Amino acid sequence: MAVPTPDALLATAAAPPLPSLVSTRRLRSQRIGRALRLWVPAGILLLLLAICFVLPLAVTMPSSTSGDIIYNNEAPFSPGHLLGTNVQGVDIFSQLVYGGQVAFEVAFSVTAIGMVIGVTLGVAAGYFGGWVDGVLSRLLDILIAFPALVLALVIAEGLGPSEVHVIWALSVFAVPAFGRISRGATTTVRGLPYVTAARLSGTRSWRIIGRHILPNIMPGIVTFSLLGVGVVIILEGALDFLGYGIPLPEASWGSMIAQGQQILTAQPEYVLIPSIVLLITVVALNTLGDALRERWGVQ
Amino acid sequence: MALVQQTQLQREAGARNGARRLTGSPALRVVGRRLLAAVPVLVGVTFLTFSVMSALPNDTAQAVLGLNASPAAVAALNHTLGLDQPFWQRYWHWLVNVLHGNFGTTVQGASVNHELAVHVPTTLGLLLYALVVSVALAVIVASLAARRPNGIADRISLAVSMLGLSTAPYVFAFLLIIVFAVKLSWFPVLSGPVTGPGSFFENLTLPACSIGFGLFAIYTRLLRADMVEQMQREDYIVTAKAKGVPPWRVLLRHALRNSVFNLITVIGLNLGGLVGAAAIIETIFQVQGIGNDLLTGISNHDAPLVEGITLVFALVTVLGNLLADLAYAVLDPRIRYGSSNS
Repeated sequence: MAVPTPDALLATAAAPPLPSLVSTRRLRSQRIGRALRLWVPAGILLLLLAICFVLPLAVTMPSSTSGDIIYNNEAPFSPGHLLGTNVQGVDIFSQLVYGGQVAFEVAFSVTAIGMVIGVTLGVAAGYFGGWVDGVLSRLLDILIAFPALVLALVIAEGLGPSEVHVIWALSVFAVPAFGRISRGATTTVRGLPYVTAARLSGTRSWRIIGRHILPNIMPGIVTFSLLGVGVVIILEGALDFLGYGIPLPEASWGSMIAQGQQILTAQPEYVLIPSIVLLITVVALNTLGDALRERWGVQ
Repeated sequence: MALVQQTQLQREAGARNGARRLTGSPALRVVGRRLLAAVPVLVGVTFLTFSVMSALPNDTAQAVLGLNASPAAVAALNHTLGLDQPFWQRYWHWLVNVLHGNFGTTVQGASVNHELAVHVPTTLGLLLYALVVSVALAVIVASLAARRPNGIADRISLAVSMLGLSTAPYVFAFLLIIVFAVKLSWFPVLSGPVTGPGSFFENLTLPACSIGFGLFAIYTRLLRADMVEQMQREDYIVTAKAKGVPPWRVLLRHALRNSVFNLITVIGLNLGGLVGAAAIIETIFQVQGIGNDLLTGISNHDAPLVEGITLVFALVTVLGNLLADLAYAVLDPRIRYGSSNS
């Protein structure tokens, strides 16, 4: 076996006891447990993504923006409305699906923007050090000390609420977070012997960054970005909730919660349904992040 | 991150090795350095806020006077508010005034200083309440969990902290309202003004729990992971165990004590993020704090109010980080005694 299989990699990353001292059965159950911890949340996420993005293409769904007031307050599992309808007669399941589309689109875009800009800044600061580090770190410090919510709300207030503005606004949260993480990881990797060896053999900086630094900090960045997607989904909900996110009548999980808030005491299910979906999504993202972290041995 | 900081502190302490010094002086040096480094950050934050608020449509005067106001009256109010001046001039004026302790007036004509003086204590009390409770609980739960990794307590704590990490604070707030305010009526749905210790706990317990649950989850995960690692790897743990120190004592006196350093750094770093939580939670519970003011300020295009609040939050963040570093310097004997043990 010249190429190590993923399981062999796992065994080296796991706790130190010698294989001969641990029973085969225990090893197998550990391996199954690890596989479950990875694939259960991954499966849930794939299912959620499929429901949000593929299902509306496959079947015709009731409108998520307008409904028939005659059929308002329908109970779950009523004909044509899987989860019933809300006070305005809008189908709740459709709202969840289209709200989910928005949530995932925003979360993935924000994380991608934050990753590209943040990692570029962070790696530059960590690799070159000196005045580059000084300037970039101060910049990131300012962005971290600056309450990004203010910027997010002001962007929405000034430019009007829209999905694109929400993405830009939330990127302000993401960039310094990725920058700080990747700067820290880069400074650690930069001191390792193989980077010194590469530098001594005359490799150019950009090549060292591309070939040696990035591949080695990426596992940490990717697991962090999964946590980041969860945080962005929560924040996007918060902006919707405050009325600064996706403009009505377009559906979003946050605005569903905000609308349900008005009849919270009488019918808590309007708050509970989107809240539970939000919770499941974020738990799946976080557990997937944890499982990958364990698998790749990232701190 | 923590390690980098620590070695940096050590180097600082080590650089002064040679001369006899007072026990507190390395800490004082750290304070001085950090305060200096904080100045450009604070200026940057105020500048950013100022530019962002100036980018909003300049309709403050129109909004205050109403749609039927004459253009002359609008121009006059713009002049009194100073909104007709160029950007740099306004920023400079504001900065000079702030350095003299004057935060200006809101668009409604009230003094921002007064607004802040009344509302800052409520928000700080709320955040401190949430922080103290969540840290205390996190220390207890993480110690229980780290005592036996993969044991029953560990699994429960992992599940609870995963839940806390994944719950949106505004969702948790509603859950608390449904259970503790509506069904059990232990607490009011909307918080009234805070007048004394009694009303503090009555009005701010639910908001503090909403903010604190997420914090508790982060702190517990961090502390537990750190303690487990220490228990497995560190030599002094082995030494302590070998000389017959009871397991609980090893955990609390040796592992916990060292893990607390990393926790302190994270608490300091997280302070900035609390602003958002405070703003949303205060709006839900109608707490009369600056988080609530921030949202009204933004929707009113009330630049002086928003700038004042942002500055307060930035100051809290910077001071929080400073306190974290200071606690580090005071608690870590390597730094306290200024020995460079590298």
